[in-house]
Amino acid sequence: MSAAVTQDVQTSFSFTTKAKNIPGNLAIWAAILSEMSEFAVMFMVYFLAKVHNPELFYEGPTHLNTTAGTANTLIMLTSSFFVVRAVMAVRHDQLKQAVHWLWGAVACGLLYLTIKYFEYQWNSAQGLDTETNIFYGVYYYVTFNHFLHVGWGSAGLIWVIYRIKTGIYTKTEHEGLINMALYWHMIDLAWITIFPLLYVIR
Amino acid sequence: MNQKAHIKLIDTLWLVLIGLTLFSAYMAERAEPGFISVAIMAAVLTIKGRIIVDHFMELKSAHKLLRTLMRVYFYVIPTLIIIVALFPEQIARWTTLS
Repeated sequence: MSAAVTQDVQTSFSFTTKAKNIPGNLAIWAAILSEMSEFAVMFMVYFLAKVHNPELFYEGPTHLNTTAGTANTLIMLTSSFFVVRAVMAVRHDQLKQAVHWLWGAVACGLLYLTIKYFEYQWNSAQGLDTETNIFYGVYYYVTFNHFLHVGWGSAGLIWVIYRIKTGIYTKTEHEGLINMALYWHMIDLAWITIFPLLYVIR
Repeated sequence: MNQKAHIKLIDTLWLVLIGLTLFSAYMAERAEPGFISVAIMAAVLTIKGRIIVDHFMELKSAHKLLRTLMRVYFYVIPTLIIIVALFPEQIARWTTLS
């Protein structure tokens, strides 16, 4: 394909997405909407299990570690904030600052995973596991699924840092960074829904 | 919006999210369980979701379908939270196979 044709294709694709005013690209939105649907199914399972087992879902949250849940919510929100600041920095050609913000987000992701690991250990010491009752079955199913998302999301952030440091992402060309930022915010959205359902509402 | 004003907005929204989370933690530990606390938590979820969708994901001025889909999520789930709190027995009856 000649350079002119390649340029045409790129311009055309770029024009299409910009004209439709979609942050990132359509592929990441297909992924995000699929993941949101997946979490929605889990929330439906939660609601149905709750109406059929009101006593277990009334008692369940009282035995969970609210401090760990709250800390992880604060960490996820802060990581999302760091990612927003990273995107803003890249747009203003402040690539070094963007990398710092992204490392902050990665640190939050790792801290989240560490706290969740110790929370599971703490649960185990209290005798709480997937077999205890249906509330804890749902709790482990939903939170471990989210745990995995934070894990690979953190890896994705490290990949984005690498792309900035190697000059692949610039002030004008950083669609991959936007995609990763959107995906990370989706992980955050899932957690802000999980937190009240499992730790707060009785 | 210039960079300085945008940073200020994002910083403020982050603080709002942190404040709402601490409020939720307080509710979890201290508030008397009941419909009022459930309704408050549902409202908090909607506010947090809207902040992230509109400002962090920058969908406030984005494609209408995408913006609507993402916003609706944070109205539907909180509404279901309230419906489940109000009518648990009826929903249990409707969803029992027998």
